[in-house]
Amino acid sequence: MSSLNRATVTAACLALLGSPAGQAHHSFAMYDSGKTLVLTGIITQVDPNPNHLQVFFAPLNAARDQVEKDARGEPVVWAVEMDGAALAARDGITVNGLPRGTIVSVGLHPLRNGHTGGGRGENGFYRCPADTPPPPGKHCDSVAGAVALGEGSLQAVP
Amino acid sequence: MLQLHALRCIPGLLLAGLLQAAEPASVGRGAPDPLIPPDIVGSEGKGYFTGAGIPADNAPIFAARDGAVPDGIEPLALDIFSTRDFYQDRALWSDPRYYRCNSAVGLEQIWGAYEVPLIGDDPPRTAAWGFCDRDYPREQIVSPYGFATAKAHFEALLTEATAKGGPTRHTAATLPAWSGRYGRQRDKRLAWFNGATLQIPTYLSLLTPDYQQRFVQQMYHYSGDNSAQWPGSYCWPEGFMRRLAQYGGASVQLLLTPDLVLDMRNAAKTLVTQIHIGRRFNEEGVVPRLGPDVPQWFGETIGFWDGEALITWTSNVQGWISHGGFEYSSKLQSIEIYTARKDAAGALLGLHHEVVLYDPEALVEPVRIVHLLDRLPDQQTLDPLTIMECIPQSFPVSGVTTPMSPGQVVEYRVPDIFGRPWAKIWEEYHEQGMQRPQPAKSRFGL
Repeated sequence: MSSLNRATVTAACLALLGSPAGQAHHSFAMYDSGKTLVLTGIITQVDPNPNHLQVFFAPLNAARDQVEKDARGEPVVWAVEMDGAALAARDGITVNGLPRGTIVSVGLHPLRNGHTGGGRGENGFYRCPADTPPPPGKHCDSVAGAVALGEGSLQAVP
Repeated sequence: MLQLHALRCIPGLLLAGLLQAAEPASVGRGAPDPLIPPDIVGSEGKGYFTGAGIPADNAPIFAARDGAVPDGIEPLALDIFSTRDFYQDRALWSDPRYYRCNSAVGLEQIWGAYEVPLIGDDPPRTAAWGFCDRDYPREQIVSPYGFATAKAHFEALLTEATAKGGPTRHTAATLPAWSGRYGRQRDKRLAWFNGATLQIPTYLSLLTPDYQQRFVQQMYHYSGDNSAQWPGSYCWPEGFMRRLAQYGGASVQLLLTPDLVLDMRNAAKTLVTQIHIGRRFNEEGVVPRLGPDVPQWFGETIGFWDGEALITWTSNVQGWISHGGFEYSSKLQSIEIYTARKDAAGALLGLHHEVVLYDPEALVEPVRIVHLLDRLPDQQTLDPLTIMECIPQSFPVSGVTTPMSPGQVVEYRVPDIFGRPWAKIWEEYHEQGMQRPQPAKSRFGL
């Protein structure tokens, strides 16, 4: 299923559930659904917005021992948009379930404008065991004890 | 050492409180109402008046103003008006003179938030003083019931109802005839949460160290640099505690059905509490909840009837702030008891609304707020309760709340709504050079 299809199906399901998130909140055209990035990082914040929960995280470097920094030495933070907060909670994606410092891996369709954000689409989202980053170059789905938060896999598409 | 001024009750207000329906002694409700002091701490630009505007016979309340110091008071060399870094003054936070003995609401309005300004012509030197010999007893604020958690409190009340053959399962025919409109009694002395009757150190004694810092930060930005950031001014969420603020939440509409009670109140937005009668919380998560593990701006509420008393438990609240009050966390829970106030003939005068707040992250112990709601006359001819959709008119421009006109262009920074956005503005624009305590970084450098 393409990401657009997933978004369409999700919206239809929400409409059936009578959720306010079922109303078209915004177009997904700002995301490049032809590309998928897979990033592993440290949760900085989860915003439980009713229409689209947002997860903010600081990607780890390839060695998985430090977060990536910008030119000023500040952590780079990415935002990834998910289902509405109530739906996302069914997959364990919550403020309480993903406290600051949690290590996660997520697939996302990046913003076309190059900003550090994306939409999850149908991609996977994994939580590493507490304080256990994956090996260098790997993601949480390779770590014993990691938890899949909903369906989908971590497959990069350049 | 401060001396509490002699407490005495205000006859009319006390009478209103005593007219609630007589109830037998309970383990968790109906304790004597908190004392009502004769005076507020001040300063207060429009005295005891609580309506809109300034009355013709306005009588501001202050102990000294325009650079004067109250008799017998030795001012501190440094206070919240003159400091360059309030974070470094922590040792002074417990001294009322650090705030010039102003109450929380006294500081909030000292530049003229909705009152006559008492900041004077040469601030900070000329900022007014409140009365250092006035305060409110802490023991009148903390819960008299001795429960450590809302769950224990609720279950004790449920057990009490069960022992009497309850909880009462009302039908549409037997429900108390409470549906309708109410106005909360608004005198500044009636509830400590109005912020006018207690010294700020007494307020701070209710809070954990982190939330003390948050409170002093708020007080500094009302007094030191006049940069209030009220959530409602930007149409940000109003939040759970706004229901209980002196002005926000004072206009109430109740709608009762056997399974659901709606408590609707107005502030910058309409605040709705849905009380689900007879339901139980899912207690498997961090906090009890009804729906998904998603904090709600007004929480989620269950309740039961014990005769004509409605007893509720609210949990799963999104942490936030009600301006002038303390910040609260997403661990906040409340037990609320609504009972009827009737006249001698049994006619409904209004409701007695008792609230006990539990927040182990923000509060060092549970606190209680009691409000009196008056049933409005002529219910059938009242204007409908306005459903408030907040339309943004003001925006933070260089850290200052600034009204804008349609068509104007403003540089806009997206607020981090779940990250204390009011404080982010203060810290970026109004705390330059201050040494704010920083959390330690993790091993990943974050």
